[in-house]
Amino acid sequence: MIFNSEISGQQQHTTSPVVTGGSVIALVYNGGVIVGTDTLCSYGSMATFKNVQKIAQISKNTIYASSGEFSDFQQVVKELAKIDRSALQYDDGVHPSPKDYGNFLARLSYKKRCKINPLYLQNVIAGFHNGERYLGLVDIYGTYLESNFITTGFASYFCKAIIANYWNENCTLDQAKQVIRECFKVLFCRDCRAHDVIQLAYVDAQGAHIEEPERVETKWDFNGFKSRANEKLHTQ
Amino acid sequence: MQYLDNYLQSKGGYDYTNVKRNELMKAQGFKEMPFTKTGTTIVGVLFDGGVVMAADTRATAGSIVADKNCEKLHTLAPNIWAAGAGTAADLHHQCAHFNAKLKLQRLNLNRQSRVNEVITKLTSKLFPYRGHIGVALIIGGIDCNGPQLASVSPHGNYVYHPFQSMGSGSLAALGILEAKFQDGLTKQQAIDLAIEAIEAGIFHDMGSGSNVDVVAITKDGVDYKRNIRQYNAKSYQRQVPYDFPINNTPALKKYQFDIEKQELTEVGQEMEIIE
Repeated sequence: MIFNSEISGQQQHTTSPVVTGGSVIALVYNGGVIVGTDTLCSYGSMATFKNVQKIAQISKNTIYASSGEFSDFQQVVKELAKIDRSALQYDDGVHPSPKDYGNFLARLSYKKRCKINPLYLQNVIAGFHNGERYLGLVDIYGTYLESNFITTGFASYFCKAIIANYWNENCTLDQAKQVIRECFKVLFCRDCRAHDVIQLAYVDAQGAHIEEPERVETKWDFNGFKSRANEKLHTQ
Repeated sequence: MQYLDNYLQSKGGYDYTNVKRNELMKAQGFKEMPFTKTGTTIVGVLFDGGVVMAADTRATAGSIVADKNCEKLHTLAPNIWAAGAGTAADLHHQCAHFNAKLKLQRLNLNRQSRVNEVITKLTSKLFPYRGHIGVALIIGGIDCNGPQLASVSPHGNYVYHPFQSMGSGSLAALGILEAKFQDGLTKQQAIDLAIEAIEAGIFHDMGSGSNVDVVAITKDGVDYKRNIRQYNAKSYQRQVPYDFPINNTPALKKYQFDIEKQELTEVGQEMEIIE
């Protein structure tokens, strides 16, 4: 088999993503951290894979989700799982905390960025360790940020205001879920690459729980859109 | 030039004579102006019986705030207002131009201006300029056909929607509008929704900021609230000119200098300041 790099003599790097996942929204609540994604992987502008789980459980108390190139997501899950497994094999009672995974991913992303061959992802790591909630963002360049709420992709434009106005870091799990559902409703209405089936996952003191996908209800038939009465008036 | 007009009129259809010229200019390195979403958040919300429009008050020149408290809500007619995003100069001049044009028409015809008139005139003006007149407007008004809300883009596209937002902060505002808009809002609910949407733009978009202006147009008239919300008002107003209180500084010692004798003597008492 002949690969491109052998023909041209130069190593090719990914310049643009092919199969992409949409926005990720993650919030901290009073008992832990909750992450929401939709279940769509787009092939460019085609909604090809509509029932994809984009939240992975890395260890007992850590979950990972990302938006961007889906094959890179799958690779990162493998890399993080390697760390989890090797920690188990040491069998010394020490296990990486969610922050350790976040830090590792930041170093990995930065290394790949420096070689101009990035992991085309905005990564979110969420976890609950020693009674402390953890939520971290690692972006395509390897920038590492810890925060109480994280949005990636288009959610950064549409949903920050909704989160700021209707969420606080000590809300209940149900309140946090409602805010995330509201955000995905807005995204489905205005983001071309969004889907109305979402999946929520949360980590609390008991561990990680990934829920079944659910459909968000959106309303498209407001009077002004349905009847378009004003437009008819325009031509009078 | 009369022969050219006649020739073009007889040809009919669109005039594409400039296309070749534009291609030549591009080849020579002339860069076409990109469509820029400018530093603004403006929203319009239609409710039962009227329309509400709101805007932030920041004007930017690149990354610098040029005007902390500019007015983005313009009057086009007593019953029609426009909220403008885009190049400030274009907005001021176009809105003033159409204000005058509509007024002349009202004087001639003795009839109230209509929203669809305004949209038609605007889009007819903007379309031939291919988007180079950087004017993105949300037009709202009430006329004989009821309340109407429309938006006009710099290229001449218009759309009638029950809620709109434009400008660089439009996505942040649209998030709030999509989440909270209902049919059958009351005037106060529509105003609160519009203010919340502009707040979203002010706090989550760097091109928008400062205060919120709101105008509500109903059959009963126009309710314009300039700076209805101020988030960074100066908490202390410096007194200008500064009033120096009398006898504020106690005199510990008093000296007297006799100019003729060139002598400095200490005077015992505190001198009273004569006003």
